[in-house]
Amino acid sequence: MLDIQHISKSYGSFKALDDISLHVNRGAIFGLLGPNGAGKSTLIRIINRISMPDSGSVFFDGHPMTDDDVRMVGYLPEERGLYKKMRVGEQAIYLARLKGLSYHEAAERLREWFSRFDITDWWNRPVEQLSKGMQQKLQFIVTVLHRPPLLIFDEPFSGFDPVNAALLKDEILSLRDEGATVIFSTHNMASVEELCDDIALINASHVVLQGSLDEVRRLHPGRSLNDIFIRTVRDAHPSSASANEVQ
Amino acid sequence: MNKILLVIQREYATRVRKPSFWVLTIVVPLLLAAVYAIPIILSAHSTEHVNVLVVDESGLFQQQFQSNNDITYMDAGSLGYAQRQLKEVDSIDAVVYIPARATTIPTDAFLYYRSDKPTMQVQRDVDNQLQVILRNAILLDVNNISEEDYALITGTSIRLHQLDLETGRDGFLQVKIVLAMLLAIIIFFSIFSFGSQVMRGVAEEKSSRIVEVIICSVRPFQLMMGKVVGIGLVGLTQFLLWLLLSAVAVLGIQFSNKDLFEQAQQQVSITQVATKGTDATAQMDALQQQGLVSELMQGLASIDFAAIILTFVFFFIFGYMLYASLFAAIGSLVDADTSEQQYTIPLTLPLMLPVLLMPAMMDAPSGTLSTWLSIIPFTSPIAMMFRIPFGVPYWQLALSMLLLVATFFGGVWLSGRVYKSAILYYGHKISYRDLFRWMRRQSG
Repeated sequence: MLDIQHISKSYGSFKALDDISLHVNRGAIFGLLGPNGAGKSTLIRIINRISMPDSGSVFFDGHPMTDDDVRMVGYLPEERGLYKKMRVGEQAIYLARLKGLSYHEAAERLREWFSRFDITDWWNRPVEQLSKGMQQKLQFIVTVLHRPPLLIFDEPFSGFDPVNAALLKDEILSLRDEGATVIFSTHNMASVEELCDDIALINASHVVLQGSLDEVRRLHPGRSLNDIFIRTVRDAHPSSASANEVQ
Repeated sequence: MNKILLVIQREYATRVRKPSFWVLTIVVPLLLAAVYAIPIILSAHSTEHVNVLVVDESGLFQQQFQSNNDITYMDAGSLGYAQRQLKEVDSIDAVVYIPARATTIPTDAFLYYRSDKPTMQVQRDVDNQLQVILRNAILLDVNNISEEDYALITGTSIRLHQLDLETGRDGFLQVKIVLAMLLAIIIFFSIFSFGSQVMRGVAEEKSSRIVEVIICSVRPFQLMMGKVVGIGLVGLTQFLLWLLLSAVAVLGIQFSNKDLFEQAQQQVSITQVATKGTDATAQMDALQQQGLVSELMQGLASIDFAAIILTFVFFFIFGYMLYASLFAAIGSLVDADTSEQQYTIPLTLPLMLPVLLMPAMMDAPSGTLSTWLSIIPFTSPIAMMFRIPFGVPYWQLALSMLLLVATFFGGVWLSGRVYKSAILYYGHKISYRDLFRWMRRQSG
């Protein structure tokens, strides 16, 4: 689905990404892990074509990704992007229509999602009155509503209580089962173990670990994912690029 | 294209629904109505008797002015004598002077007054009588005229100028200056406030990262222009409502002071002498009534409101679009830790320049300074609106409009480039070097 080849990106003298290569399988849930400031968000923004890499390229379905391909992506940014003064329902419909749904289609799907996420009562409230978690639910719904084949979530679980996090996990799994490819970044190892088919660990602008979850577990027997994460980051060598090499 | 309509719709709907929009929409016409109503109401209820001296050098108006309960007209021999009387005798309130002309039909008359202007009632009465006497004189003089000629004659009128005896200033000029300042200030505030709204809207979308979410479905240029156009339509809606509400308010005032208007009309019919077929009489009545309505506005009567409104709409649309797109570009440069201040100054300066130079422009509305300011695109919307009530040569108006439209296209193109690169640029302060690079290149 997505092939990332030798991506590098610098901001002034700071190298945010250094020769990153990753492969995301169609229909899989891909976990992008890494400590704060490792470059996860930068990578996601390059995939979305919000910023351009200094070198390297992103391939989408085998061809270099274009602006038109970005329309196939549902993107949930880490910082929530909503108009604060606008009413919840109106805003959701506006964003859905921008993404190509008709008014009725949008309204119908939203009703369904709102009742599933238990936020129907908030339809006519301004967004600024919503709690952070509620805004996140709304943003999540808006991201997936037009059923894009590729979903990218930047820290989707931050700010969620365990109950809502579980709700979100179920939804992500069922989206995968409906055929979507999912990429998400997180520090939350529990969610990685429950959801991910494949993972990549980015540390200090480099990929230090990559592979399927089973593979990674097999290579580090007897260790929790959390443990693997911490050890790998501590021992990381900037030149290492895949799970095999780390081993 | 559908996407840009969605953006326009959102920008428009969220703003028009705000209470602040409606407060402003209602308050401005009320203020205007108050400005209009106060002199009328004051003059309607003034009971003081007024004495007016008539100096007629044309010979048509002697003994023809009809005195009534409120105004006594007296003929005076010479202008010098009448002016002395006006200056020295308290009971003389005004002088009407009709100078002799080479042709038999006088075209101008002058109303001299002392420190305070004659009331509306006096102005109107003098003007009405002038017109009626003139037409009657022409009709009595000419026998067997054709219907067309008759219509032509009833259409002729004499222009009444008001002059302050001390300063020699034209009373109408003051009305024009007030109107000019009003137009300039309204267009300045409109461009500035709606332009700032565009800037704040863009900055909000950037800092809240909304733009990251929607940029995959809308092109940056569509998003920018949608916002500019949507907010511009809010401005046009406001003007339209102002115009409608002001018209309603003015008509309301006229209606509630009906006596005043009917009185003036009766005086006109009393002095009617000539009759020439029922059609012609009806025509004459119609013309006189038409005259009444415009006389109501006195000084404003010589001003073409339709032209002013059209010019205003034109200069607002293009002036606003030019500035708003530049404001949008500035909004896209703003980051959490940079203030927009440093970028807005180069933009607000040319916008404010004509406002700051208004006292100088007032002295010479058609002088070099005013002319240049009204032609240079960045100052032209405000400077031109200031000049319009005084009359502007057509070629200057056309040149100014052409330059503004051309600059508008250039400004939008440049803003679109900057916006496209800057709106998704985070984390680092944008330098002027980045800015120029974006202007030149396709994307950053």
